[in-house]
Amino acid sequence: MALTDPIKIGVLFSETGVTSAIGRSQMQGTLLAVHEINDAGGIDGRELVPVYADPASDPSRYAALAERMIARDHVNTIFGCYMSSSRKAVIPVIEKWNKLLFYPTLYEGFEFSNNVIYTGAAPNQNSVQLAEFMTDNFGARVYLVGSDYIYPYESNRIMADLVLQHADSAKLGEAYVRLDASEQDFAPIIADIKSRQPDFIFSTVVGDATARFYRMYAQAGLDPRTMPIASLTTSEAEIAQMGAAASAGHFTSAPYFQAIDSELNRQCLARYRHHFGDHSTPNLCWESAYFQVHLYANAFRQAGDDALDTLLPHLLGSEFSAPQGRVKIDPANHHTWLYPRVGRVDAQGQFAIVREAKRAVQPDPYLVTHSLGDWTGRLERLEV
Amino acid sequence: MVSKNASVGTQTLRVTPALLKDLRMLRVAVFHPDDADGAQLVQQLQRIGCQVQAFWPPLPQLPEGVELVFLAVRPDIIALDFAWCSGENSPALVAVVAYENPTIVEAVLRIGAKAILPAPVRSFGLLSALVLARQLNGQIGTQAKRIVKLELKLAGQRNVLEATRILSVSRGISDDAAFDLIRNQAMAKRVTKEEIATAIVNANDVLNFAR
Repeated sequence: MALTDPIKIGVLFSETGVTSAIGRSQMQGTLLAVHEINDAGGIDGRELVPVYADPASDPSRYAALAERMIARDHVNTIFGCYMSSSRKAVIPVIEKWNKLLFYPTLYEGFEFSNNVIYTGAAPNQNSVQLAEFMTDNFGARVYLVGSDYIYPYESNRIMADLVLQHADSAKLGEAYVRLDASEQDFAPIIADIKSRQPDFIFSTVVGDATARFYRMYAQAGLDPRTMPIASLTTSEAEIAQMGAAASAGHFTSAPYFQAIDSELNRQCLARYRHHFGDHSTPNLCWESAYFQVHLYANAFRQAGDDALDTLLPHLLGSEFSAPQGRVKIDPANHHTWLYPRVGRVDAQGQFAIVREAKRAVQPDPYLVTHSLGDWTGRLERLEV
Repeated sequence: MVSKNASVGTQTLRVTPALLKDLRMLRVAVFHPDDADGAQLVQQLQRIGCQVQAFWPPLPQLPEGVELVFLAVRPDIIALDFAWCSGENSPALVAVVAYENPTIVEAVLRIGAKAILPAPVRSFGLLSALVLARQLNGQIGTQAKRIVKLELKLAGQRNVLEATRILSVSRGISDDAAFDLIRNQAMAKRVTKEEIATAIVNANDVLNFAR
């Protein structure tokens, strides 16, 4: 291959289907980074060329399209996947061909593949911080609501474990809804919440159903000041779907919010809006999708190639100044050192950051028993 | 070729384990979606020569004669309870898993799997998992039966002691003589000492009723 040839990369995010709001933003985050890299002269003069396909939120389509990108388009690296089911569908393909997947999504942990780089939060980088904040400020009687798949099951197990470490704690309910849940699916859950009066609700509802759940909560006249919803997945993208009125006062724990007060973040958002306008809403998964392409490009420059065995030594341990702060790929577990934060949705549909890690927190994807009060996960108090 | 055991005079006779010999007769139920992993699983079992039937979703009752079950422990079925995975004569169960988080591991433990087959399914490793699961299941079954027998025996011996005491008091004879009496009765009636003892203890209870 000539040293001026373009470099093809696979981009595999759902632009349609139940998780398309996040999927589109991850796609845009990826393309922003590609744009920046190419504007700055590419990777040693070689243009980065994304090959896209829309798996439409369907795991089997993810697997088929990943295989096509590798076999037909000859890509060595794929950036993609949101739900765990999509990642699990792609990993066998990636491993079979010995290629590399960058996965820019928070997930439930308990996984390592030599062929995957995980740039979203592991539970020790978001759940522990959220449990600590919610129990400190609202109490430890929790009601768990989630979409019916593995991430919510496991997240709820961790949250219940954490919350139940408190005195006077209780799990008042645990309910699951289908991925495309309607208002009718949420009605009995909202009624149950209303009668049980938990201190807070932990929501692991994902995708388009998120907006329906928050709207139903608002319509039922429940008050976020006394019984807020806490989430790991309700980002600016879901808030844009449901509107600021339905989301104001609720909490989310994530390593990235648009509201992060740094010049680097503001410039990144400005560049994004300049190139892409309001096509999608930047959020935690957008940011991971963005910075992971830069990590890849930097490693490629050093390696001169993106064949897995050539690229990996330069990728592992590498760092990048991302909008959330300086992140680093952990060489031992391929996950990423990130900055846990807790934000409360304000009247404009943005997050006011109320807690923030001053140092990056090491990813620990195989942690079974999380502990409240673990100082390695302690966050700085910003307000509230 | 020089054998490592050349200095050892005796030869061990290597016998093929029965668990391997009866693979061809083995009736296997596969509860797995009809996808690449499901196909790989069924094909490998057929290569080995097992009698395979495949279903999804899992059946509430097993087909007749099934001795081994492969079950895909997927997030969408972990809340289900299957009568056939607990119970005395339950078949050996191999869990097919794609996730290794505590939620799934807990489900694997709860259904009593005796071996694990990781997904994506590869042909290598399936035979060993299958044999190991059957061996463990067999051993656990044998031990459970033995424990029941021993518990009965223990309870019976308590009765023999009690019956000996009842006889020695009521007839004014020594414990040894009372024990001999029980043993002789058992031999004459061709039943166990424990059964005679139980009869004596029960009779004594009846005779002493409301006294």
